[in-house]
Amino acid sequence: MPFNRKPQKFNAAIKSVVIGSGDKTVTLGGENVLPFYAFDGEIKNGPKVGVEITDLGMEGEPESVKAYYEGAATMGEIAKKAAAMEGADFLCLRLAGGDPNGLNKSVEELIETVKEVADAVDVPLVVEGCKNVEKDSELLTKVAEVLQGRNVLVMSAREEDYKAVGAAAGLAYSQKVGAESAVDINLAKQLNVVMTQLGVNADSIVMNVGSAAVGYGYEYVVSTLDRIKAAALSQDDKMLQMPIITPIASETWNVKEAMATEEESPEWGSQEVRGISMEIQTAAASLASGSDAVILKHPQSVATISKMIQELM
Amino acid sequence: MTLFERVFGGNDAVYGLTEAAVDAAIAANGEEKAVSFPDTAYALPCYYAVTGVKVTNLKEMKEALGVVKSLMTRENQLNDVFMSGVATALCAEFIEAIKYIDGAKPYDEPCYGHLSDAIIRELGVPLVTGDIPGVAVILGSAPTAQEGVDLVKSYQAQGILVTLVGGIIDQCQELGYKTGANVRVIPLGKDVTSVIHAVSVAIRAALIFGNVTAGDAGALMTYTKDRVPAFVNAFAPLDDVIVACGAGAIALGFPVITNDDKDVPAIPKSLIIQKDVSKFNATSLEARDIKIKITNIDIPVAFASAFEGEIIRRGDMQVEFDGSRVDCCELVQTKDASEVEDHKIELIGPDIDEFEVGSKHSIAYVVEVAGKSMQPDFEPVFERKFHSYLNCIEGVMHTGQRDMIRIRVSKEAFNAGFRAKHFGEVLYAQVKNEFEAVVDKCQVKIYTNPEDCTKIRHEIAIPVFDKRDERLSTMTDESVPVYYSCIMCQAFSPSHVCVVTPERLGLCGAVSWLDAKATNELDPNGPCQVITKEKVIDERIGEYEDVNEAVRKLSQGALDDVSLYSIMEKPMTSCGCFECICGIEPFSNGVCIANREYAGMTPLGMTFSELASMTGGGVQTPGFMGHGKHFIASKKFMKAEGGVARIVWMPKELKEQVAEKLNETAKELYGIDNFTDMIGDETIAEDPETLVAFLTEKGHPALGMDPMM
Repeated sequence: MPFNRKPQKFNAAIKSVVIGSGDKTVTLGGENVLPFYAFDGEIKNGPKVGVEITDLGMEGEPESVKAYYEGAATMGEIAKKAAAMEGADFLCLRLAGGDPNGLNKSVEELIETVKEVADAVDVPLVVEGCKNVEKDSELLTKVAEVLQGRNVLVMSAREEDYKAVGAAAGLAYSQKVGAESAVDINLAKQLNVVMTQLGVNADSIVMNVGSAAVGYGYEYVVSTLDRIKAAALSQDDKMLQMPIITPIASETWNVKEAMATEEESPEWGSQEVRGISMEIQTAAASLASGSDAVILKHPQSVATISKMIQELM
Repeated sequence: MTLFERVFGGNDAVYGLTEAAVDAAIAANGEEKAVSFPDTAYALPCYYAVTGVKVTNLKEMKEALGVVKSLMTRENQLNDVFMSGVATALCAEFIEAIKYIDGAKPYDEPCYGHLSDAIIRELGVPLVTGDIPGVAVILGSAPTAQEGVDLVKSYQAQGILVTLVGGIIDQCQELGYKTGANVRVIPLGKDVTSVIHAVSVAIRAALIFGNVTAGDAGALMTYTKDRVPAFVNAFAPLDDVIVACGAGAIALGFPVITNDDKDVPAIPKSLIIQKDVSKFNATSLEARDIKIKITNIDIPVAFASAFEGEIIRRGDMQVEFDGSRVDCCELVQTKDASEVEDHKIELIGPDIDEFEVGSKHSIAYVVEVAGKSMQPDFEPVFERKFHSYLNCIEGVMHTGQRDMIRIRVSKEAFNAGFRAKHFGEVLYAQVKNEFEAVVDKCQVKIYTNPEDCTKIRHEIAIPVFDKRDERLSTMTDESVPVYYSCIMCQAFSPSHVCVVTPERLGLCGAVSWLDAKATNELDPNGPCQVITKEKVIDERIGEYEDVNEAVRKLSQGALDDVSLYSIMEKPMTSCGCFECICGIEPFSNGVCIANREYAGMTPLGMTFSELASMTGGGVQTPGFMGHGKHFIASKKFMKAEGGVARIVWMPKELKEQVAEKLNETAKELYGIDNFTDMIGDETIAEDPETLVAFLTEKGHPALGMDPMM
């Protein structure tokens, strides 16, 4: 019997969200087929890869990451190197130092870093907060304000602070808003519903539906991504058609497989190889399950994943 | 004079002034002279928002006056009043804009005049989040400076943004009251026309935050009415110009509250006369439906969930209120808004310090609430939370509910100053915070006289409780218009959807139809959504087209159809939280039910956990179904297969729990007395043969019914 190709057609598509300004923009989403099902139909934009840097500079980074950034002394220089990384589509600045339970840097200090990074590069920018709801409400509001006109993605608005972050980033300063939920399709949808009720344009929202490192309950992530894509495409669920961005580096580099030194676990081999491997595996799985963008930090991971995307498109 | 005459007169006067001002400005500067407000991208924001046209110079302003004139219709309809109000506001904007010609700085400290876009963006975010719950525009001079400052202070304490126009600015200065954008008290200007700078804030908020297109006056007014929680406090005497401006405020949806009762006809909800200035705050908040978040509960001890499990032993106890010995009760009552004074806490009877250490007393506390969306069905939902609220107080222990409560207050809490009224403070704050969506106003009455408590318990509370129970027991699936979905468990059981009906509560046993309804009203985007049931497919098994549609949508396509009353045909799925599982027992034509607490074997050859593994996970398994305990005695239990007569076995403990109601149902449906005596349990049989022998001996009806498979 001859093989009959039967493309799976959907009468719905993921929304396209553009971040960045001027000549340098990147479009997330836009597809109307399942992840990498290029044989079912053209994939408009293809998944994108972002490079993560934090306001902590090179402090605590693995040696091989430090090696890549060698010679970069200021945040501006670090940002330039990150933006120039092979395979990078956008830059992500994570303001980890703002966490009140950590360094607890002041909003003013962090905003200076944001400005320095934004002034140094013209690539599309994603700015992530410190994950503390109260601090983020204040910090991300300010971030949205100082980056007016840059059309950045501000991450993230969550159930607890979506009003402040959504109103500032989505309404007052016309940025894009990340909507973050914790690996649950209903919570992801509910957040999109309340954000749009607040007045944020559905086309300005990018979802971060939560993640984990592979091996750390990652099955839940796959199932959530799967179901969101299925609902968005096969059921035309408008409140789940926002593109998905998944921060990977911040999940994979602090698990045991990436942290244990070779002295501690000689049988596991090179620590660096393990860390990169965790990052690549998690990113590949997230893209295959439906994420429209991943955020990585190791140059080798960025290069590998962007090559994978090219080959599969 | 009628309101029409006053507004039209005021409007005409302002129009005349504006025309003269524009002409004078043209004479002095020429037609081409640019007019603009500083630091705004919206030209003359009010005119731009209403018409979609940006006025940039005096010539265009002169033309715009013609457009304003066209709004000034005189048909003596309410709409003419509103449009004349809008026209007055636009005129005021022109007059103010002319002041700024040539980059002039017409306003000196402390007045701000025009506010920049940057300030609006900054204020807009807290306005959207509700951190600034409202915007007060105070106009004119209060009867005394002190009264004026007190009013400003009262709004400021609530986080409300205050803007000042006219004499009130001098009154604040007179008493040295601090003003400025940083303390959210903004003096605009002393001329009445400077009120436009407050209007401009509301209007630009609509353009920036509401995505309102300039020129779409309808959308603009809807936005300001629904989303900008502003209101006007105008002090007597009101001249025609102020009345005309007020009409403009009302057109935008902002109520005007005044103490001038001469020649001002009240308009319900819009133009409110409140002669007592000290009540302006409460009247304004109520009129604009502004709810103030309570961040701090005013009690002398801590309040946190960490204290919820605290036990207070007899020796540590200052006093005790014990519903099992004397008359006590806790009750929520829905009242009319006029009967409730927000945050009124009343103690009727002696306080804790008048009681002997270690003594036992009566207490009754009645929480009276009012709200536009409040329904008596929510009362028990609130009440059920009291246990947790009072337990969270450091040094207070609460057990039980309704009229069977016991409360102990520790010596330590008493010594820290804890008194009876503090129960009220906690209940007030928690009810207002947690049920903000439906509670507008709340007051608490605490009774400690034994006679009062007896009276309240027996004459008010018990009849209310009885009525509620009656309502629950008489509610049928047929008697309600809609059902509710519950997908609270989808986090771990992704395709499961509960359809909650009055006669079939959620399978976890925790979500009744009333609970689901309350959850839906309190959190409209939450886990419980309305399911209509208008398109019947099959009444026998309880299948509806609309229910199927909802299930399909909520399970993301994993489930196509469910029946409400059958265990064999399209049974409802289970998440994993089921209180009980019933499974088909083929030898007797019946079903066995096992509850979660039962660890032993069932005649099906499976334990509860073994049954659970094949019933849960959101899949349909004909012949097996998870359900709540209360569903067992429901007339809808397996209705399609013949009802409760199919039940042949239950663990003894469960049987005893449901016996009374189940017997009632069996008597009503089949005329069988003491039906539960015919049902086996683990003391009679744990295998099918012994069970069938027992059923045969008892003449169990299931044996004579059609086979289920």
